[in-house]
Amino acid sequence: MIERWALLSGLMGDLETYELIQKDLKNTRGDITLFVLGDVVGPDKNCDALLNRLVNPHRGDLKPNCIYGWWEEQLLAESGYRGERKADALRLNKGDDAVTALMNAVDPYYLGWISSLQFGFVELDCGLIHGSSKDVGDILTMQTPPLTLLDRITRLNVNRLFTARSKQQFHLELTDAVVDSKVKDLNGKRNQEHTLPKRAVIGIGAGANYTLYDVGSDQTHFLTVGDMTKSRGKGFA
Amino acid sequence: MKHAVISCLHANLSAVEAVLADIDQQEIETITCLGDLVGYGPQPNEVVELIRDRKIETCQGCWDEDIIDGLDACDCSYPSQLAERRGHMAHQWTTEKLTDENKEFLASLPTSIRRGRSFFVHGSPNSQHEYLLPDMDAFAALERVEMSGADTLFCGHTHLPYVRELGNGSIRVNIKNASDREREDTRMTLPIRRIVNAGSVGEPRHGGVNATYVIHNDIKNDVEIREVAYDIDRTCEAIIEAGLPHVFAWRLRNGFEFAELAEDASHVCER
Repeated sequence: MIERWALLSGLMGDLETYELIQKDLKNTRGDITLFVLGDVVGPDKNCDALLNRLVNPHRGDLKPNCIYGWWEEQLLAESGYRGERKADALRLNKGDDAVTALMNAVDPYYLGWISSLQFGFVELDCGLIHGSSKDVGDILTMQTPPLTLLDRITRLNVNRLFTARSKQQFHLELTDAVVDSKVKDLNGKRNQEHTLPKRAVIGIGAGANYTLYDVGSDQTHFLTVGDMTKSRGKGFA
Repeated sequence: MKHAVISCLHANLSAVEAVLADIDQQEIETITCLGDLVGYGPQPNEVVELIRDRKIETCQGCWDEDIIDGLDACDCSYPSQLAERRGHMAHQWTTEKLTDENKEFLASLPTSIRRGRSFFVHGSPNSQHEYLLPDMDAFAALERVEMSGADTLFCGHTHLPYVRELGNGSIRVNIKNASDREREDTRMTLPIRRIVNAGSVGEPRHGGVNATYVIHNDIKNDVEIREVAYDIDRTCEAIIEAGLPHVFAWRLRNGFEFAELAEDASHVCER
């Protein structure tokens, strides 16, 4: 049985999209593990139905493995779960109204569950995270400098980093990295050539755009809701 | 033009005086200090006042920050519980001894200084608590200099003086995105950068007992690591008299500072 990971993020209360993705995944062959990399809440619609579905999956649903994202971080901060820190980043970027809308979009009943979510998962040699190993709000894109990407990968001590915050879908590989290092200290001088094995950063998309990852072959498939249903018998089914 | 860079003075007046006397003989144009004026040593007020009197441009170190803001690093700062307990004793003693005026001076220090294409910090551009050791991952080291936007990053904190040049670097970037199924493949040249660690004036950890600092000649663009002998007995006696842990004196006398290196020096304190 092919082992596959389904990775999604940025639902922001959209239960309908989540149900469509679940439906897609039912049509997908393989042993599938579902990871939800944060931003399940947002200010634009009431999120309680989606939260209820994640906490209490329906029979036949793939069980979601969830971490928290940037919007959950803002919600938890404003709700007093981050010490004296409030939703400062949200307030700065979108104003007080957005903070109020976010607080109104989530029933306090779910705060306990949201606060229990982890920052990320490490599966095999892969880091699964919302932003980056530096910060939940860190945005990694195809344009992020390679040294920054390497740093974020190195901090987690993994070979691949799956990230969601940029909302982009991409598979960026860093290979053949080499740099010469010359150190002079009180013991003299020494030179060394440093190399790195292949590393990768994978942007998984957001909302209706999600990613399937074939663990055995290291292949990523960037999908949009409905793709699985359309491609039955052709691609990934 | 020659610049001296000093760091990690650690309230060791005898060492600071000896290093400044050495600098005064080297036709130095400017002196920059990378912080940690206090902590461990027995003369915090004297050292702070000497730096203030000489108007030496200084950035704030982790000890200076902790004296002002309280201990806020996670347990990454110490290699053992014993070392942590001793460190906390020194912190409490220093907090009690330091005058309000000198505390205000430490609070006023910037966390970094930029001068042309050089950037000066205590630990790293990430954090005053992060160690940039000479053998750390070369790509991570390069990233730290890049994030500072400088060609040369001057730092301290490790108490190990070194100059590390990173060059001839390249990396291949291969991208597949959602809209374009074709892969994009490019080979990128990595920048040439340098890290200069000034070592420590007041608490050497290079295996010897001498104070260290560096001189940067920006005409020749070279860096000299200087070792300076100082009156260690004077500092050790003051440590004992002050009631600070005797091990602080023992370490200085024998150059045994390796015992206090953090186990996971690549860890970035998140607090």
